[in-house]
Amino acid sequence: MLETVKLTKSFKDKKVVDEINLYLQTGESVGLLGPNGAGKSTTISMIASLIKPTSGDVKLNGKSTIQNPSDLRKMLGVVPQEIALYEELSAYENLKFFGKAYRVEKETLEVRIQEVLDMVGLKDRQKELIKTFSGGMKRRINIAAALLHNPKILILDEPTVGIDPQSRNHILETVRELNQTQGTTVLYTSHYMEEVEQLCNRVYIMDHGKIIATGSKEELLSILSSEDTIGVQLSKRSEAFTDKIKTLPDVLQVEQTSEGLRIMAKKNHHLLSSLVHAAEKEGIQIMNYKVEIPSLEDVFLHLTGKTLRD
Amino acid sequence: MGAFIKKDLLVFWRDRKEILMALLLPILIIVILNFAFSGLFKDEKAMQIDISVVQEDDVKKGMEQFAAAVEAKGLSSEEKSAVLAEADKLDPVQLIHDFLNSSDLKEWVTVKDFSEKEAAEQVKNGELDAIIKIPEGFTFESLSHVLLGETSQGSVTILAEEESAGVSTLQEVVHSFINTVNTQFALGSKGVQATAEPILPKGGKEVVEGNDGADAYTISQYFTIAIGTLFALFMAQTVSLKTMTEKREQVFNRILLTNSHPLSFLIGKTVSAFILSILQFAITLTVVQLLLNVFPDKSFTFWAGLMVVLIAFALTVGGLSALFTALTLHLSDTNAASGISTLVIMGFGVLGGSFFPLEGLPEPIQKIGEWTPNGLTQTALIEWVQYSHFNDLLFPISFLMGVFIICFAISVSIFPKRGRS
Repeated sequence: MLETVKLTKSFKDKKVVDEINLYLQTGESVGLLGPNGAGKSTTISMIASLIKPTSGDVKLNGKSTIQNPSDLRKMLGVVPQEIALYEELSAYENLKFFGKAYRVEKETLEVRIQEVLDMVGLKDRQKELIKTFSGGMKRRINIAAALLHNPKILILDEPTVGIDPQSRNHILETVRELNQTQGTTVLYTSHYMEEVEQLCNRVYIMDHGKIIATGSKEELLSILSSEDTIGVQLSKRSEAFTDKIKTLPDVLQVEQTSEGLRIMAKKNHHLLSSLVHAAEKEGIQIMNYKVEIPSLEDVFLHLTGKTLRD
Repeated sequence: MGAFIKKDLLVFWRDRKEILMALLLPILIIVILNFAFSGLFKDEKAMQIDISVVQEDDVKKGMEQFAAAVEAKGLSSEEKSAVLAEADKLDPVQLIHDFLNSSDLKEWVTVKDFSEKEAAEQVKNGELDAIIKIPEGFTFESLSHVLLGETSQGSVTILAEEESAGVSTLQEVVHSFINTVNTQFALGSKGVQATAEPILPKGGKEVVEGNDGADAYTISQYFTIAIGTLFALFMAQTVSLKTMTEKREQVFNRILLTNSHPLSFLIGKTVSAFILSILQFAITLTVVQLLLNVFPDKSFTFWAGLMVVLIAFALTVGGLSALFTALTLHLSDTNAASGISTLVIMGFGVLGGSFFPLEGLPEPIQKIGEWTPNGLTQTALIEWVQYSHFNDLLFPISFLMGVFIICFAISVSIFPKRGRS
């Protein structure tokens, strides 16, 4: 349905997005993961026809959208990272303005406004000014404004940043419903791995402007099939102990957590006895030891050497 | 299009700070300036002064001396009789007496009759504020100066025990009167306008203009027009500055994604600035008129003409707003765009005489000021107050519309193409 071909964007000789190839099939929900500065927002802006790529193409049903993006825009709903609304207007006034800008028929606009307000759970607050809303409520209206023209494709750029759990759940439910019930194709970027795990059939992992891995959740997790992730809870933190663990033969990566350590090690390792021995020597008690089921977060860590929120 | 205009008007209306700045501030400034300046000259107690005129000159002797001087000039008999007839009509001492007792000065000057000695004592005691002394030979010197072109030695002197605002004003008024008389009679003697009436200064409260049949315009009218024009001009920046927020918060991008024609956004800003500047000026005028009766007894034609100029000016404001909006979207640094618009508006404000009258500045600057939209509007409106000649409005209206067309054409040419941010 929608694909990018070697999509590239440079700013002053610096490649921010480097020959990205990705595609969205009708009705699927795709995640785009990457740390800050990975190039996600620039990629989205190019797909949405807001920025012209330095090279490469964005194709809708095999047809380039670079020169004439109007067909794409008719089918596209974009939820930007910023609250792209007029703070001085009410939720209803904002939706009415954007609905008219989308040229939604006068007769259907009123109905559609009430539908999207219902969808984001703010029908009873529609007359209130946006500036009086909480961050979560603003983000919900931000999504509603992108749904007014019934888009076939919905691109959401980190729609749950900095909001309360209730609004977050509401947004996730809305996106899931749009995708599963209405068949809307979704491209979802987030810092929160669990959201992508929950919502998306396929995931692209991006770093330094490039796609470094892609596939379904299972396919990505299989990257870690030769590794185990072990969570170790310690009585106290010790740099010397951490350094010692890093030198153990089966250990691939060690990360300090609030409770102790997170260790990635080769499958069928024999770490427990070595850990206990090292802990005794440093006067540290091991409170808990658990081999974890790998998550996309582990895959991300494995591929980029950093966590998503770095 | 309507949605864009409605949105911009609503956004402005909901911003209470902007409303206060745009509507209340100009009214407040006009009222304060009006009271400050009118109060200065309306304070009759402060300006009430008592004087006495001491005349040392013998008018009859002066006339005889002047006749002898004319005889000695060797003029033809026709010229002699013409000059002497003029001298008979012109009695300089009587002119000063008439002036001091004129209705304009009577409001704040009381002339009392005392002998020279008594007057000096009264001044010393503080009973009199000043003595106006007409020196010996004043009639002869004055007539010789204005009718024969001789250099004059004698002049009226004002003696006072204490320097006060009232005495200083009297001094200025009397000297101004004498200069005016001299100029008018000098002109009259050259045949420019033999019956020219001297223009009498009125004591500062009113700006007196026009000796060619024009109505005088008051300082309140000047303030109302200047401040009203300036604040209407500010509206161009106020509306365009909202674009900065729209760009920063991705609202503009969201609008582009709606597939709306990019110019809808620009036209929305232009029309909003046009409507808001008309409303702003009209509300300011109405409130100030109701509070201060700035334009008393003006006809419907006057108000209609005023509205026509305002509409032309508001079009220019709309054009400027379009230009600043396009600039904000064109430049990657929105602060630079804001800086440029501030510079343009403040430049127009200063050069156009909206902050202070340009009369004291060099002529080239005054000329430049007349070509700024606000300067031209101000001049057109003041002339409309004075003359009410509709023909005088044609050029300013055409010029303002020209500025609008040029600004809008530039805006369209630099507006982001193909709806990309």
